[in-house]
Amino acid sequence: MPPSHTVRILDGNNFVVCEATGDIEATPTEPTGLFSIDTRFLSKWVLTVNGERLNSLSYDDLQYYESRFFLVPGLATHYVDAKLSIIRERAVGKSFREHITILNHDEKAVDLDIRMDAGCDFADLFEVKDEILNKKGEIYSEVEPDRLRLGYRRGNFRRETIISSSEPARFDRNGFAYSIHLEPNEQWDTAIDVQTMALSPSGRDLRLGLRVHGAERLNLQQDLEEWIAKAPKVNSEHEELAATYRKCIVDLAALRFAPLSLGGQNIPAAGLPWFMTMFGRDSILTCLQTLPFTPELSATTLRILGALQGTRFDDFREEDPGRILHEMRYGESAAFEEQPHSPYYGSVDATPLFVVLLDEYEQWSGDVALVKELEQECRRAFRWIDDYADLVGNGYIWYERRNTESGLENQCWKDSWDSISYRDGTLPPFPRATCEVQGYAYDAKMRGARLAREFWDDPAYADQLEREAAALKERFNRDWWVEDGGYYALALDRDGRQCDVLSSNIGHLLWSGIVDDDRAEQIADHLVGPRLFTGWGVRTLAEGEVRYNPIGYHNGTVWPFDSSFCAWGLRRYGFSEEAAVIASGILDAAWYFDGRLPEAFGGYPREQTKFPVEYPTACSPQAWSTGAPLLLLRTMLGLEPHEGHLAVAPRLPIGMGRIEVLDIPGRWGRVDAFARGRLDLNSVGG
Amino acid sequence: MTDATTRFFDDLDQQGYQPLLAKVSGALRFDLHEGPQTMHWLVRIDRGNIQVSREDMEADTVIGTSPALFDDLVTGHENGLTALLRGDMTVTGDARLVVQMERIFAGPPDARGPQRYRKGMQ
Repeated sequence: MPPSHTVRILDGNNFVVCEATGDIEATPTEPTGLFSIDTRFLSKWVLTVNGERLNSLSYDDLQYYESRFFLVPGLATHYVDAKLSIIRERAVGKSFREHITILNHDEKAVDLDIRMDAGCDFADLFEVKDEILNKKGEIYSEVEPDRLRLGYRRGNFRRETIISSSEPARFDRNGFAYSIHLEPNEQWDTAIDVQTMALSPSGRDLRLGLRVHGAERLNLQQDLEEWIAKAPKVNSEHEELAATYRKCIVDLAALRFAPLSLGGQNIPAAGLPWFMTMFGRDSILTCLQTLPFTPELSATTLRILGALQGTRFDDFREEDPGRILHEMRYGESAAFEEQPHSPYYGSVDATPLFVVLLDEYEQWSGDVALVKELEQECRRAFRWIDDYADLVGNGYIWYERRNTESGLENQCWKDSWDSISYRDGTLPPFPRATCEVQGYAYDAKMRGARLAREFWDDPAYADQLEREAAALKERFNRDWWVEDGGYYALALDRDGRQCDVLSSNIGHLLWSGIVDDDRAEQIADHLVGPRLFTGWGVRTLAEGEVRYNPIGYHNGTVWPFDSSFCAWGLRRYGFSEEAAVIASGILDAAWYFDGRLPEAFGGYPREQTKFPVEYPTACSPQAWSTGAPLLLLRTMLGLEPHEGHLAVAPRLPIGMGRIEVLDIPGRWGRVDAFARGRLDLNSVGG
Repeated sequence: MTDATTRFFDDLDQQGYQPLLAKVSGALRFDLHEGPQTMHWLVRIDRGNIQVSREDMEADTVIGTSPALFDDLVTGHENGLTALLRGDMTVTGDARLVVQMERIFAGPPDARGPQRYRKGMQ
């Protein structure tokens, strides 16, 4: 288990982050709370008995949406008076519910004052790591006989937390209390309900008026069981691998998110706790990783992103016609345009990846109807790639933010400010173009050509896309190849100068197919070589580069999702042993995290640390980290749709033993895949 | 004051077909409240084919705003989603229709759009 004393439960974008006692006392460094629609609805939630704080004996995450805490009075000392136990059981769904049970183990009767301090700062998710000093609206607290109403008002913007109790409680502005008498061995219970409200001026919740399409997840337990039953089964001689797989399937269930305005359809959100929302890039890449296992996520993701494709120019949101969105948020900062997430479009990879996912999804599912439904969206995406994204006019996708206040400087997956550099460590001017995005554009055009020829009845368009793709590949191999390194540059600056550092991005190039065949081996050697490969996975930036730092967010850490695409790319070019090296490294690492890979971990050499060092503020579970073991399974088993069938070509390391994947869904119905570890990896890498 | 709104609906009606709404069918009613008065606009969409009227009839989606805000929405001075989140615009019924409809509103009039880099110009 990663060292963490915070407990998280969630359902969609309703979630709770709390201490091991179940208490919430939010500070900028410990941003705990009850959250919904990107807003904090409880920042204080502290239970005391006779004025004393409680001490945690243990807690269980029962399911992703419920947890249970066993507590005793008094702070942790060498002696814990265990004459009283307190059990807090809680679940998030449409509301937050907490059931408190108090048991008297004493031979004497006791009189107890039970109190819950409750309060809320109604922080926007973007404020929770800062000191919240000057909210522009007014915070209020209203006591009613049977409930406490905590609220925040700014113009017509109103958010309220409404707290009620099954047992009569004395409510005051700062919480509520009970006075109880317990005979020996007697127990007392109360159920507390916390509603989160986003109120329109008429007093209705703005979400309630919206008709929800499709099945609502009323019974979370039943829904989870159905989700697990529908996914393929993985059995393995190595119990760790099967356990990791099961953990991923449950975490994917937890990460499903139904956007506010699109009627109950689920897409994968990016990650808990701070990214429980729709991200174009994260949602698409997660769908690509999980297609063989949970294909239904892909169809809804494509529909929703298509429905929100850009239609006009908006510099604040960086919207252009045809552009696929980057991030959607519903909090106060989005509502008052202090942040651009309504939605924000500042990403250059989501648009080509949208087409890539549609093609990959069709190959697996045979869902021709969706390919036809999204034809215009694909054509608009290509127009964006060719016209609006080519800021230098030389046939590449570039970026330079137009929202200089709150837009992203780097609009590729490595989106931190210092992720793109020259070999001397300096940062290039804008616009910039990163290599993997050119690969995605190449792949999108090749795949788009197939869709145009087979489904859109437009062979001329197919030919055109193929010609453009071929020209791009030729241009790319000329302009981006770093002669003295034998790899592709991370990026080009606006004058064509190479950011000539060695980075994990070259693995994405293999996946896209843009790499010239005679150069693939050099790329493969780098990916499993000592500068990039740690023994666990591929460093984002190679050891030896000026900006390399084993815990640099995009400058040296290992991102499991990134490594999984590198492995897929290696397999595509026939380097199945190298792919297996990376796959086994990441799957080994997964076991150190209890089957739940974090967003990133340190880029230290495996032999130095012996275990993967978690990146300090990594989100977990993170959708594309959750997807990584699934993509690696696909890669090792060589699962490929081929002329309407599922081809299986396993290349497993010896240590993996036997693996079977049962009931893989697709256009073939459901089929099974079996594999045995036969590869000796000792000859590879180093 | 509602010139922009009237122009928007008149244009929409005259267009008759809007490709961005080709996958959309349903009726939206816009209730523009000003004091005791409410102006109604009813937009019927049938796979991109559009009819506009001033009828006060049942619809799949009902949108409520002030006339001034609606002017700002259709001219790109305001954004639909942020108006909804702020509580300045209310939506009942099928939210997907308003999300699709919002896409045909104009972008901000001062938007520059993507800027081509020219050597020596920056």
